[in-house]
Amino acid sequence: MKIVIVGAGEVGFHIANRLAYENKEVVVIDRDPEALKRVSESIDVQVVQGSGGSPVALNEAGIKEAEILLAVTDSDETNLVACLMADTLSHNTKKLARIRDADYDPYHETFKDGPPHIDTIINPEIEVVKTIDRLMSVPGAIDVGEFADGKVKFVGVRLDEKSPLADIQLIDIPKQIGPDHRLLIAAVLRNEKMIIPRGDDRLHSGDVVYFISEEKDLASTLKLFNKPDMTIKNVLIVGGGRVGARLAALLEKRSIHTKIIEKSGERCKELADHLNSVVVLCGDGSDQQLLTEENIQNMDLVVTLTNDEETNILTSLLARRLGAKKVITKISKFSYFPLMLAIGMEQVVNTRLSAINSILQHVRRGKVISAISLKDEQAEVIEAVALETSEIVEKPLRKISFPKGALVAAILRKDHVIIPSGETVILPGDRIVIFARREAVARIEKILSVKLEYF
Amino acid sequence: MRWRYVLYVVGILVLFLGLSMTLPLLVGLIYRDQSVYSLLWSIGITIGAGGGLALICRSEGTEHISQREGMAVVAFGWSAIGLFGALPFYIGGEFPSFTDAFFESVSGFTTTGSSVLTDIEAVSKGLLFWRSLIQWLGGMGIIVLSLAILPFLGVGGMQLYKAEVPSPVPDKLKPRIRDTAMILWKVYALFSATQVVLLMFGGMSLFDALCHAFTTMPTGGFSTQNASVAQFDSLYFDIIIIIFMLLAGINFSLHYQMLRGRPLTLWRDSECRFFLAGVLVLTVAVTADTWLWGIYESIWTALRYGSFQVISILTTTGYATYDYEQWPAMSQIILLLCMFLGASAGSTGGGMKCLRIMLCIKYCYKELFSLIHPHAVTHVKIGGKSVPEDVMRSVLGFLALYMLLFAACSVILAGMGVDFLTAFGAVAATIGNIGPGFGTVGPVENFAHIPATGKWLLIWCMLLGRLEIYTVIILLVPEFWRK
Repeated sequence: MKIVIVGAGEVGFHIANRLAYENKEVVVIDRDPEALKRVSESIDVQVVQGSGGSPVALNEAGIKEAEILLAVTDSDETNLVACLMADTLSHNTKKLARIRDADYDPYHETFKDGPPHIDTIINPEIEVVKTIDRLMSVPGAIDVGEFADGKVKFVGVRLDEKSPLADIQLIDIPKQIGPDHRLLIAAVLRNEKMIIPRGDDRLHSGDVVYFISEEKDLASTLKLFNKPDMTIKNVLIVGGGRVGARLAALLEKRSIHTKIIEKSGERCKELADHLNSVVVLCGDGSDQQLLTEENIQNMDLVVTLTNDEETNILTSLLARRLGAKKVITKISKFSYFPLMLAIGMEQVVNTRLSAINSILQHVRRGKVISAISLKDEQAEVIEAVALETSEIVEKPLRKISFPKGALVAAILRKDHVIIPSGETVILPGDRIVIFARREAVARIEKILSVKLEYF
Repeated sequence: MRWRYVLYVVGILVLFLGLSMTLPLLVGLIYRDQSVYSLLWSIGITIGAGGGLALICRSEGTEHISQREGMAVVAFGWSAIGLFGALPFYIGGEFPSFTDAFFESVSGFTTTGSSVLTDIEAVSKGLLFWRSLIQWLGGMGIIVLSLAILPFLGVGGMQLYKAEVPSPVPDKLKPRIRDTAMILWKVYALFSATQVVLLMFGGMSLFDALCHAFTTMPTGGFSTQNASVAQFDSLYFDIIIIIFMLLAGINFSLHYQMLRGRPLTLWRDSECRFFLAGVLVLTVAVTADTWLWGIYESIWTALRYGSFQVISILTTTGYATYDYEQWPAMSQIILLLCMFLGASAGSTGGGMKCLRIMLCIKYCYKELFSLIHPHAVTHVKIGGKSVPEDVMRSVLGFLALYMLLFAACSVILAGMGVDFLTAFGAVAATIGNIGPGFGTVGPVENFAHIPATGKWLLIWCMLLGRLEIYTVIILLVPEFWRK
C-alpha cells in the first residue's frame, strides 16, 4: 500500500515512522529540506522536496499509484490545496486532511461531496477536547480510549502502593476482586517499557496498568486501583485559544462551573461574547495571586491549554501545589512525554498525538472502526468488525494463530460486551477490540482484512 | 556504537558469502578440477565463521542504525568479505601466499581487476569462476544485494545503503530501500544475462561468456585469458563488450527509467550526457593520436583499439585489447586521466565519478563568474536544479581527499622500492578500481612483483576507491572510536 504524506512536521514524521515500520510504501512531501533530512535519515521512506499543493511534487511522489493521501501540514490552506490537486490528478486516491480552523467546521461535509473530495477531515482540536473529556470522566486515568461507542473503555492508570492489586500475581487477581467482576489487564508500562504480562507476573506499584473494562464496571474497577470516583464541578481553564474555547463551550453545555483565564484582552472579549455562564478572566495563568484569588484550591480540575508548552507545564505544577485536585496539561513536543511522567504530571494531552490517532484509524485496512495509540507509541488498540471471510471467526480464540504481542481484549456482540477467554468464539459481525504491540500491528491488520478485497 | 549489532550484521554477510561459494563449487564439480577441495574447505570455514559470529552476537532487529554504525558495518563487512573470499584462492595452494590471495579477492570484490596471476589460464576453472563471481557480487554492492534479499536489514537499511553507495545525490527509486535495492539488482542481472547470450551468439563458450559478463557489468575487468580480451581477437566481442561497459558506466536508475519505457531519460540526464560526450571526445583524441603516429595503419583499426581502451579505462573496467604502453605519450596521459575521471555516479564504475567532476567544473565557473559580477547570486545547477551548499562542500572535500590520498599512497609505494611510473600507475589503478596501471603493472604485466607491504597498501586503496573514501577513511579518525 502506497501512502503519500504532505508535511514533514511532528504529525507527518510520526505517522510516516509508524507506517514505514509496518512496511508500507511511504512518500513524504515537504518544502523544508531540513525537515525532510530528518525524515529520510531516520525512516525508510522516500522524500520529495516541494510544496504539498504543487502538482509537480505530487506527481513526483507518485500520487497516481497512491492509495491514500494524508495532508497534515500546519497550514489548513496547503492541506486543502494538496487535496484539491490530488483530486484532480488522481481521483481514486483516498484523501485525509488535517484542518484546524473552526471556520471550516460547517463545510466538512461540503468538502466531502464537492471538489476536493476529502474523505475524512481531521480536526485535532476537536480530538483533543474529546481526549480531555475522556480523561475528566475517568478519575486517575493517564490514557483513556473508548470503544464500542463508549461501552468499552481502555484505561491506563498508575498503580499506587495502597491499591489492593499492588504486588500480587495476575493469576490471583480474580480471588482478590471477587468472581462476578472481570478485569483484563492488557499491558503494563514499567520503566518506559511495554510488557504484556502473563499469569505469574506481578504488578508493582509505580507501573502504569492498561486494562479493559465495561463502562458499567469502570467505577468499581477504578476503586481497585485506589482511584475513587470523583465528580467534577469546578474547572479552571488556562489559555483561551481554540482548544480552550471549545472545551469551555462543552463544559458550559454540561453546566459545570467553569472559569477561563486568558492573557490577551482582545481574545477575552471574544470569549466573553461567545460564552455565557463561563467566567472569563483576563490575566496571566502563571500568576500565583490571580490563581489564589480565584480559589484554585477548590478546583476539581485545572486544564492548561496555552500555546506555550513550558508555560503549561509550569502553570500545572503551580496549580497542583496550590491544591487543585486534578491537572491536565497540553504539550506538543513528543520528547516531553517521559519527562512529564517523571515529574508526576501524568495527565497530558497532545494535539498532534490526537491527530495521529484519528489519522491512523483511517489508514488501517479492513473494517477498522477506531484505533488508538498509547502515549509512547509502543502499542495500539484497534477496534474492528470481524468479517465473515477473515481468519478469526468461527473458531475458539486459542486456536487462532495470533501474532506475538497481540490479544483480543473485548468482543461486542449486539449490545453485549464479552471479555474473552481462550474458549470464546468470534462470530461474523462482532466488533472486536484488539490490543497490539507495534510489531504485531501489520499482522493484525492482515488478519482483519483478509480476503475482503476479493469478494 | 553497538558493536554487537555491527558484528552481527557482518556475520550474516560472511555467512551469505559462504553460501555463494556453492556456485563455483558447482563449476568445479562439472570440470572435475582441483578447486573442489579448496572450495569445500572455504565453504565450511566461511559458513562456520559467519554463522558463529552472527549467533554469538545475535541481537534484536533494531529500528535505527546510526550513520556511524552504518559505516562500521560496511567497512568491516567489506574487509571480512575480502578476507573470506580469499580462502578458496589460498587453501588450494594455487596462489603463492595469503597476501596474494587476499589481494586477488579484494581486487575482485572492489571490481578493480588488478591481478597477481602470471598465468591465468593455468588456474582451475572453479577458481576462475569464483574470481569472476566475486566481481559480479561486489559490483552492484554486497550490502545492496543483502538489502534486496535479506529482510532483516529492512528499517536501518538506508544508513547501510548510503555507506556503500555514497552517491553525491542519492536517489531512491522506490519509497522502501528494499524495493530500490531489488530493482537495481534486477536491472543488473538482466543486463548481465543479455550479455551472456550475446557473447555466446558470437561463439564464446558458456563458461567464458559467463565469466566475462560477470566482469563487464560490474566494470571489474578480470578475464579468463592471459591476454585479456585481446586473446579472442574478435571485432564482434570487442563491440559487445564496449556496449556493455558503456551501459555499466551509466547510472542504473536511468536504466530503470529507460526499461520502464522512457528511453529519453538517458539523454535528458546531464551527467549521462557529460559521460557520453567525454567518451566521444577522448576516443577521437586517442584514435587520431595513435593513427597519426603510425601505430595503426588504418584509421578503423585505431578506432577499434582506441575506443575499447578509452571506454575500458573510463568505466574503470580494465580489460585490454592492446598494450597501451606502446602508444604515444598523449594517449597514455589521456588514459591516466580517464583513471581519475571514472564513470557515472550510481553506476558500477569507480573513479572520482563524472558527476563530481562536473560539479567541480561548474563550481569553478561560478567562482570566476562572481569575480566578474561580485554581487551576482548564482547557484551550481544540475539538470535545472540547484545543488545544495552542503552537497557541494562534500564533493569538493571528496575530490581533495582523493588527490591527497593518491599522492600519499604513491609516495609510500615508491618508498617500498617501486619505480616512479609504476608507483603512480598502480595507485591510480587501484584507488580508481581500474585494474591495469602503468609501468611494470601495465596491461600485459601483473601485480605479482609488488612487495607484500605494497600489496597491503594497494588493497587498502581498492577498498578506499570502492566505498568512495569516507566510509573507509573514517575508521582512521580518532573521533570515530570515541565513546
